[in-house]
Amino acid sequence: MNQLLTISFYGTSVALILIGLYAVLAKKNLLKIVIGLSIIDGGLHLLFVSIGYISKGTAPIFSPEVVGTNAVMVDPVPQALVLTAIVIGFAVTAVALSLVIRLYRHHNTVSIDEIKNLKW
Amino acid sequence: MVISPVHYIALPLLAAFLIPLLGKINKELVRIVPGLVLLYLSYVSVTLMTQVLQGSPIVEIIAGWSPPWGINLVFSAFSGFLVSLMTILGFLIWVYTYNFKPEESYSQTTKFYTLFMMLITGTIGIVITGDIFNLFVFMEITAISSYSLTAFYRERDGAEAAFKYVLIGSFASFFVLLAIVILYTQVGTLNMADIARKMPDVDPYIKGVILLFFFIGFGIEAEMFPLNGWAPDVYTQAPGPIAAIFSGMVVKAGVYALIRVIFTLFDVPSVLNLLLIMGLLTMVVAEVIAMRQERIKRMLAYSSIGQMGLVLVAFSIGTKDAIFAAIFLMFNHAVIKGLLFLSSTFMVYHSKGKEISEMNGLGKLMPFTAFVFSLGAMAIVGLPPFSGFWSKLYLLMAAADAQLVAVIAIVLVISVIELAYYFRVVHRIYFKERTSVVPIKTPTINAKFTLAVLALVIVVIGVYPDLISGMIEQAAKDLLDKQNYIHYVLSVR
Amino acid sequence: MIKKVLVILLLAVIGFYLVDLLAQIPFGEKRDNVGDYYLQESVQSLKVANAVTGIVVNFRGFDTLGEVTVLFLAAMGLSSIMYRKKKKGDKDVRAKKPSSRILQVGVQIIFPMVVILGAYVFIHGHLTPGGGFQGGAIIATASLLMLITYRKFKVNHNTISWIESIAGVVFATLGIIGLIKGMSFLENFLPTGELNALLSGGIIAIIYVSVGFKVAAELTGVIDTVLLNNKPDSNNENN
Repeated sequence: MNQLLTISFYGTSVALILIGLYAVLAKKNLLKIVIGLSIIDGGLHLLFVSIGYISKGTAPIFSPEVVGTNAVMVDPVPQALVLTAIVIGFAVTAVALSLVIRLYRHHNTVSIDEIKNLKW
Repeated sequence: MVISPVHYIALPLLAAFLIPLLGKINKELVRIVPGLVLLYLSYVSVTLMTQVLQGSPIVEIIAGWSPPWGINLVFSAFSGFLVSLMTILGFLIWVYTYNFKPEESYSQTTKFYTLFMMLITGTIGIVITGDIFNLFVFMEITAISSYSLTAFYRERDGAEAAFKYVLIGSFASFFVLLAIVILYTQVGTLNMADIARKMPDVDPYIKGVILLFFFIGFGIEAEMFPLNGWAPDVYTQAPGPIAAIFSGMVVKAGVYALIRVIFTLFDVPSVLNLLLIMGLLTMVVAEVIAMRQERIKRMLAYSSIGQMGLVLVAFSIGTKDAIFAAIFLMFNHAVIKGLLFLSSTFMVYHSKGKEISEMNGLGKLMPFTAFVFSLGAMAIVGLPPFSGFWSKLYLLMAAADAQLVAVIAIVLVISVIELAYYFRVVHRIYFKERTSVVPIKTPTINAKFTLAVLALVIVVIGVYPDLISGMIEQAAKDLLDKQNYIHYVLSVR
Repeated sequence: MIKKVLVILLLAVIGFYLVDLLAQIPFGEKRDNVGDYYLQESVQSLKVANAVTGIVVNFRGFDTLGEVTVLFLAAMGLSSIMYRKKKKGDKDVRAKKPSSRILQVGVQIIFPMVVILGAYVFIHGHLTPGGGFQGGAIIATASLLMLITYRKFKVNHNTISWIESIAGVVFATLGIIGLIKGMSFLENFLPTGELNALLSGGIIAIIYVSVGFKVAAELTGVIDTVLLNNKPDSNNENN
């Protein structure tokens, strides 16, 4: 059972990171590249939350039913950090998309091939 | 209220949120408030620096929870020196930008000054924080401000350069965050002093992987080879004063983060060899490419990358004298490169391509600007009696002490190359006739003030290096003293 | 074609190393970390039921301040990058056709419910899962619903600017009051009340409410900026 959980959580995050990387490196449409960045972020955040999990633990909220019992709770720190990281990821995506819009206005295309200055 | 390191962050944040409201009262306040904040922070720097140089590092806790459970700020000799440099340089650059583009619309001006102030605050935050995730957050503040400021003006290809920057910057964030994730699983804490204390117990293979991820992530910010593809375009397209901030502060913060991780958090001496090789590669590749540049800002950008390579080489030698040279190099580079970017901005203000050939003959038409530019060029190559001479000399002496003859040889060869391409520009300024028909923009009084102050610092430090060598020596000692750092932070209640 | 093959090879290598690294980090294992201290103190000193909120707003409140700043800067950067001088004849261009009847009726029912849900989430951030960021995002979704349904729905950027600034000033000022009182920045100076009551946690609840307002305003502003005026420049505007 633990093997299955391990594979599904870690495996999904690695898969997401790889899919996002593929989108960033191999796609030609600027929008797809930005979406790829977003997917990489998603995978990384999932990984972060997964490492905080403690077997048979519950959410770290002391609702009236849980106060006083010595329930095992998952680590709250990764969740707090991921909250921050998600917001930051959103901010970067927003700025990237605004740049794509501006490039589209200027060059009338969103293909990375057409926009000459973007060559490495 | 006692003056403490948190003022560096709290005041600019409060001001940033207030600026849109203040702007409704009086439009000029939007330009003035960032300057006032930076002036106050320079005063704070001087006060705190005198305190630290006499006694021990200042550790401030946030929200009342002592380390390792709360976040803390550390103003020590090393971090304090860098922060003081950043605030004072930031104030001088603000003076320069006061009327930089007077025809701009009001809403854009508001955004420019707010982003400007937050860019400086972000870099200061990276340097004074004592918590690794907090460092990531400040890195992102710096990044978002940089992306927006690079693409600020419509008339250039800023959007392309900014997009490239976003892509590569996101990779930097990715690697740093991944490193933090894995690090948290191994040591269970995010406080840098606590991590340093627990690091010896971590499995060596995982330790190496985490260090590698940090190396890549911060290496991108520090313009290390081959991760610096973003830098030349960004420096070329960003507005002049913003390029000065990038080269003078953002890159320094990246180098600081890398050095802090290597020297304080980890205990892996073999990574210094890797750093030495990467530093040498950065320097050589960048300076050789700089020779072939036809556009002035691109040339300065490659020169900047080369200088950063030199700084990394100096840090990687690892002895106290080498670190002294490295910090001195950082100081000099920030001041001199700032002067070069700021003066060359006016020299090619109205031109579209910012080509070096358009600078012909400006020696007669813009005597003051041309003079300070040439002064900066001579200083950065390392000619006496300017400040750049001392830092290069100390580096060569430290390399000699460590018996790294190859390093000395490479640095000398690179210096000759630098001399060649800078001299080419100075020659054009003074000895060629003006061929371009682009109108000249003479600098405003406030811009001249900044250029004069920077030039003065270069000359004064060049003649009396002892004015700051005491501070730098304490900073070098502070960086190497890991146990002291751990002790000071973890004993605060 | 060759490029795609190279990329896939590179990804295979990276994937292999990542999996190898993660295999050394067991899943679900209890480790020694600062989380235990936070769980304990959240109940004892802060009297905040949601430990994650306690961490986000109090223990690591400085990070949250930085994050709020990042959002603020992103909204600012976005509008500065997309800035366009207004020319004569510029109309506010939105969808050409009105949206379907189902959407219009549905939104009239759903919109108030979503707003109330969002407000509930950020007001009760310290008691139930959720908080300022989550609640703000929910409210911004409500605005997005309105924007895509009604072509005449306009977002007043002036109001948004006021809400953003005031909420940000509240957050920073609460921190500075701690400084002025001789304690550290962002330290809790209000009484903490009882665990699981609405008025618990001192300044935590106030900060999270202002964060909720700020995030809702900012995200709405961002969505609205992006929806305006995105036709390509005509040729004589190209520089």
